[in-house]
Amino acid sequence: MVENILQARSAFPEFSLSRYHQLTIAVREHITMVSLAAWDGQSEKVQSVIQSIYGHSLPQRPVRVGGMEVSFLWFGPDRWMAVGERDGGRDLEENLKRHLHGLAAVVDHSDGRAVLRLSGARARDVLAKGLPLDLHPRVFKANDVAITHASHIGVLLWQVDDAPTYDIAVPRSYAHSFSDWLLDAAEVFSAI
Amino acid sequence: MRITCPYCGNRSLDEFLYHGDAEPQRPDATADNAMDAFVSYAFERTNPPGQHHELWYHEAGCHAWLVVTRHVSTHAISSVDIARDLAKARTPNTAGRA
Repeated sequence: MVENILQARSAFPEFSLSRYHQLTIAVREHITMVSLAAWDGQSEKVQSVIQSIYGHSLPQRPVRVGGMEVSFLWFGPDRWMAVGERDGGRDLEENLKRHLHGLAAVVDHSDGRAVLRLSGARARDVLAKGLPLDLHPRVFKANDVAITHASHIGVLLWQVDDAPTYDIAVPRSYAHSFSDWLLDAAEVFSAI
Repeated sequence: MRITCPYCGNRSLDEFLYHGDAEPQRPDATADNAMDAFVSYAFERTNPPGQHHELWYHEAGCHAWLVVTRHVSTHAISSVDIARDLAKARTPNTAGRA
């Protein structure tokens, strides 16, 4: 069955969703992620190109800028992760490669990362079991970004809104292991 | 022990890797005494008590190389600098190449 070989498959095992009190865990599929790493001395040029094309100033500290379709996460000094959602992901890598030719390394991570969304009043309590970070709203707010680890797995985390909602990207090959930890941590808030 | 990364903020030690003394400077390989200088550079450490400048790598975070000034007896950290900035200040001719 040749037509089945290239079907997109979720990085996560199937698990039942929406069975928690004040907590929603959802798999986010079809998110485009493209990293930008400015060559030495080219960071300001990269920033001005992104400003002129997308109208966003690339952040110099761990925050996220942008809109619903294309946003940019701080991803280290002189490095950013462009995130495309809905139609924003279409041709994102090609466009960035074309406009940043000679200025930055542009690498597609879309198939290498798996993204989960945690939302609700209990989301912070679940993450607190594994993330070595203070997520209290006076320290970590909407649009803040962190690169850290959870359950020994490297994560890129950003807060979407004050619900709070968090998006968490993990290496795809660790998706199963990460969701095992997460569902275990969330079990205490189970509605069943 | 916690290290305040200049980029990421205060983070747990398990996000960082220790990469040795930040003091030794790579010797001139073309000098007459290059062999002695490299032996000293690679192996000889005085390791006194007190303040040390140490290279740390923020491996599970932003991947920045840091120079941490730490008292090795008390673990008190007095400053954390970005290693790239210090290196470029020493050799300004390599800044902004490419």
